[in-house]
Amino acid sequence: MSLGLEWQKIKRTGVLWTFLGGGILAAVVPVINLAARSEMYLRLQDSPVDILFKGNWQLMALLNILLLVLGACVLYHIEYADNGQLKMCSLPIKESTLFFSKLGLMTGLCLVSLSLEALGMAFCLSHWFNLSQSLCLELLKYFAYAFLLLLPGGMLALILSAFCKNLWVSLGCGVIGVCAAILIPTDNFILNLFPFALPFQVLTLNTEQAVCYLLASLGEVAFMALMFLGLLKIRRTLA
Amino acid sequence: MYIIETKNLTKSYKDQVAVSNLNLHIPRGKVYGFLGPNGAGKSTTMKMFLGLTKPTNGSFAINGKKYPENRIEILKEVGSLIEAPAFYGNLTGEENLDILRKILGLPKTAVDEALELCGLTPYKKRLAKKYSLGMKQRLGLAGALLGKPPILILDEPTNGLDPLGIHEIRTLIRSLPQQFDCTVLVSSHLLSEIELMADYVGILNHGKLLFEGTLTELRQEARAEGYPTDNLEDTFLAMIAADNGQRGRGR
Repeated sequence: MSLGLEWQKIKRTGVLWTFLGGGILAAVVPVINLAARSEMYLRLQDSPVDILFKGNWQLMALLNILLLVLGACVLYHIEYADNGQLKMCSLPIKESTLFFSKLGLMTGLCLVSLSLEALGMAFCLSHWFNLSQSLCLELLKYFAYAFLLLLPGGMLALILSAFCKNLWVSLGCGVIGVCAAILIPTDNFILNLFPFALPFQVLTLNTEQAVCYLLASLGEVAFMALMFLGLLKIRRTLA
Repeated sequence: MYIIETKNLTKSYKDQVAVSNLNLHIPRGKVYGFLGPNGAGKSTTMKMFLGLTKPTNGSFAINGKKYPENRIEILKEVGSLIEAPAFYGNLTGEENLDILRKILGLPKTAVDEALELCGLTPYKKRLAKKYSLGMKQRLGLAGALLGKPPILILDEPTNGLDPLGIHEIRTLIRSLPQQFDCTVLVSSHLLSEIELMADYVGILNHGKLLFEGTLTELRQEARAEGYPTDNLEDTFLAMIAADNGQRGRGR
C-alpha cells in the first residue's frame, strides 16, 4: 500500500519522465557510439556484451547514478516543501516505512531506465553483432549486476535527501559524491566500495572480484538501512 | 473520564524548559481551549501528544493508551492540525486527502465528507500550492477531520483565515462534540476566541500550567486573586503579567 502512496505522491513532479528520459538518453549512448565507431568495436575479439559494456558503461553509469541522486532529491523535496512530512509523522505510519517505500519506488524507476538501456544494447547487438539467446542471457546478467551495484548509491542519495530539508544541500552532496566517484580509478577495489563509485564497475570475467563487489554492495545496503533506522531514532530524540 | 491526561509532562531543550511538569486533564466529549502567549509551550505539548517530539520527563495517556508504547494506536484515534498547514503542493486538495484516507484505511466517501465540512468542495480539483492561506488552513482542518476521529488536536486552526472563515471554523469546532462525539483540544493565544469555543480552558505560560477548569471557574479564581473579571481578555493578561512578575522576582 505504501508503495502505491509514494507513486501517488510523485504526480506532477516529473520524476517518472525524468527516469524515462534519462533511460532513453543512456540507451542512446551505445547506439551512437557504435554508429560512429563501429569498425573499431567490431574488430575486438571479446564477447559482444563485454565490448558494449566496456565501451559505454562509464557514461551510462554516470547518467544512472545522477538520475538516482536527482530522483532521491525530488522524492524528499515534495515531503519538505509544504510540510507534507510533518503530516505523515502525525499519522499512524512509521517514518521508516515511508523511507523504504520511497526506496522501493526509486528501485522500480531505476529498473525502468535500466530496461530501456538494455533495449538500447539489445538493438546494438542485433544490428552490429548476431543477437542470440545466449547473448540475451549474458546481457541480462550484466544488467542485473549493474542494477545491484546501483542500489547502495541510490540508498545513500535517499538517506541524504531524507535528512537534508533543503533540496540544494542533498543535491549538492550527491553531485559532489558522484564527481568524487568519477575520479576514483576503477581498478582500486577498496576505493570503489564508495557507494557512488560501485555503479561504474562492470561484470568481468574475474568472477571472484565481481562476487566481492556484489557482496559489498549488499552489505552496504544492509548497513545503510540500519544506519538510517539509527539516525531516525536520534532525530526523534533531538526533536 | 479524562480522554487526555498528562503527568508531570516536561520538555526541555539545551538551555530552555519549554514545558514544565504539566498535569493536564482533558474531559471526554468537550472542547478544551489551550491558551497561552506565543512561546508558552502549547505547540510543544501538542507535538508531544502526536509523538513529533519526545518528552524529556513525565508521561501521558490518550484514550487510555500510554505513550510511547502505543504511539501508532494513539495516532489512529487522533486527527491533528499542527503549526503551518502541511500538504503536498503538487497534488490537488482531493488527492492530498486521498493519501491521508488510504493511510487511515477509510472509505472513499470520507474525503468528500471532509471537503464538504470545511467548505472546500468547489476547490477540490485545484492544486494545493495554489490555495490561499485560508484554504490551506481549511485543507489542514479537513485532513484532521478525515474519518471523524474521536480526538482532535488543533493548533491555532483559525490562523490565516478571514473574519468570515474564523466564524465558520469556530462554529464548526464548537459543533464537533455534538456532531461526531469527539473531544477537541484547540490552542490559541486569544482568550476571546477560546471563550467562544471552549468548555474548559488550560492557561499556559512559560511551560507552566497557571489554570485549568471551566470559564466560570476561571472567573471565580480571577476574582479571588483580585484580577479584573469584566473582560476575560483582561483576566488572561493580568494572570500572565502576574506570573511573569513572579518569575522576574524569582530571578
